[in-house]
Amino acid sequence: MTLVLTLKTAPPQRLDLSPLLPHLLNGKSAKEIAAIDLATTREKASVGDIFKLRAGSPEEIRFEGGSERFDAVGEGLTQGRVAVAGDVGVNAGRKMAGGELAIFGNAGPYAGSAMAGGKLEITGNAGDFLGAPREGEIHGMSGGLLVVRGNAGRRAGDRVRRGTILIEGDAGDWLASRFIAGTLVVLGRVGASPGYLMRRGTLVLAKPPELDSTFVDCGTFASSFPAVFARFLLPESRAAARLFRSHLRRFGGDMAVLGKGEIFVPA
Amino acid sequence: MDGAAVSLETAAAKAARLLETAQLPVIAGLGTDVAGTRAAIRLAEKLRGAYDHLASDVLLRDIDVMRQAGRMVTTANDVRLRADCLLFIGPKLSEAWPDLAERLDLSARPRLAAEKAPRKIFWLGPGRGEAAALGATEIAASPAALPLAVAALRAAVLDRKTRSDGSSAQKLKDLAAALKAAHFGAVVWSAESLDRLTIEMIGGLVFDLNQKTRCSNLPLVSGLNAYGVVQTSGWMTGFPPRTGFGRGYPEHDTWRFDAMRMIEAGEADAALWISSYATEAPKWKRQVPLIALAQPQTRLPYAPQVRIDVGAPGRDHDAIEYSRDIATFTLAKATRASNAPQVAEVVALIDAKLAKGSEAC
Repeated sequence: MTLVLTLKTAPPQRLDLSPLLPHLLNGKSAKEIAAIDLATTREKASVGDIFKLRAGSPEEIRFEGGSERFDAVGEGLTQGRVAVAGDVGVNAGRKMAGGELAIFGNAGPYAGSAMAGGKLEITGNAGDFLGAPREGEIHGMSGGLLVVRGNAGRRAGDRVRRGTILIEGDAGDWLASRFIAGTLVVLGRVGASPGYLMRRGTLVLAKPPELDSTFVDCGTFASSFPAVFARFLLPESRAAARLFRSHLRRFGGDMAVLGKGEIFVPA
Repeated sequence: MDGAAVSLETAAAKAARLLETAQLPVIAGLGTDVAGTRAAIRLAEKLRGAYDHLASDVLLRDIDVMRQAGRMVTTANDVRLRADCLLFIGPKLSEAWPDLAERLDLSARPRLAAEKAPRKIFWLGPGRGEAAALGATEIAASPAALPLAVAALRAAVLDRKTRSDGSSAQKLKDLAAALKAAHFGAVVWSAESLDRLTIEMIGGLVFDLNQKTRCSNLPLVSGLNAYGVVQTSGWMTGFPPRTGFGRGYPEHDTWRFDAMRMIEAGEADAALWISSYATEAPKWKRQVPLIALAQPQTRLPYAPQVRIDVGAPGRDHDAIEYSRDIATFTLAKATRASNAPQVAEVVALIDAKLAKGSEAC
């Protein structure tokens, strides 16, 4: 049975929920779990103070209720499943390497930051810097699948070097800035200058803005690969799969950097 | 104190009470010299609070690029003596550094250059009249068009194809040729008028030019010891401002420890505002308990619980501060020495008034 943590009242401070992962809770009693410290200030805040616990197998952890102050949910997840029925704060799914994290609400900035594997799904909106590296880090997301059903903020996909990001809603300015490699699909509208400082990688934009002049037109694209990728996307999003099966036009860039990236737009 | 005049001792004791009873106090502003910064960060550590600088937004643009992408930099002196080709990028540089032309001795030929030809000076996206005042060749670009103009310039340096054409594209090509032909180029800009990605693009442009010739960045850093605070913070905690001690050890998070955000979100429940160089006031709307260490003329947005007027470093008292002219720390002698209390003294006094049993680290 699932381990369920029900939020008692709005948290009085930002919480670090990164200790609540399946592989870390394995073999711990309910009492031991209740004693885990989640505080980020000098005031104490243990699991027992914040949540009502329903014991169960930690292979699946469910949070009933969320808050903008829930930081680092699923940070470092390697296996099993974590689900949040509500909003989360900064760093959701950061550095996760496996397993599944589902946010049934909105996520703050840096969701999926530097994630390396597994699947992160956000049903609401995501803040700025989706999948991006944090202070002083060189690489952003390096593997896995990141799905945002709502909108994403600015600089989504910053410095991503592998993996797939799918945004069903709109994306802000500077989408896929400094993109190194990987695939990013946006079904909604996109803000200014997607792919600024992009080296390699693939963006597929259903409703692109006017592209920067450092992306050169390569004409319509005929290859069987998009249809193969469409099959991979079909279980996640019918609309994305349909986009991949449509006629696409290819732009190459960012010519100011390496110029080996590509942006596909409907032909 | 609450509008009434009291002794410094009493005010400091009240400030200490306010800060130590708060759940998460924040030290903001931090407009002070090295001694003041050291005292403030020590206090933040004792209180297990957080600290932020009033110019963090600008400072971190610069720092974020440096720590994620690297950078080649030089000093104003090197540019003055060697640079045979200068490129200024972005508006308001003469506002950020008013004595720019004299400091870089732009009208003279570079003294240590191999060929003593007149300097070539360009300005990409200057403010109105700025380029002419410096005798620079102007390549117009609005602030909004600047990121793309820098990208187009870098593509031109790499001889890449782009979709831009027309007269501005030709101007950028000529500029790229001049930079490549230079023996020692210098790109002068300020984080105050550029965003992070444009700064990273400029850094990349300089890297590319260094494949064949020499070129370097000259970032005009913020004044009033803002950069000194960054360096002091660096040697004390390992991080720039926007660092917190909530868990007893320093954690750096540019989003979480933004003082403005912490206060507006109700996370920080007491603030110590420090601004001794200028009459800068806090910008937050939420009226958290406030202790202000400010210049006497400062107009605060709401009545603070404790207000202590302090002297200005380098004017009322001697101060160690970062000099951007020589890119290191110097002693600034008091120009009008007075008895006005120093930030470092006041903060140390508050520190001494903390209850003995409080969790000192």
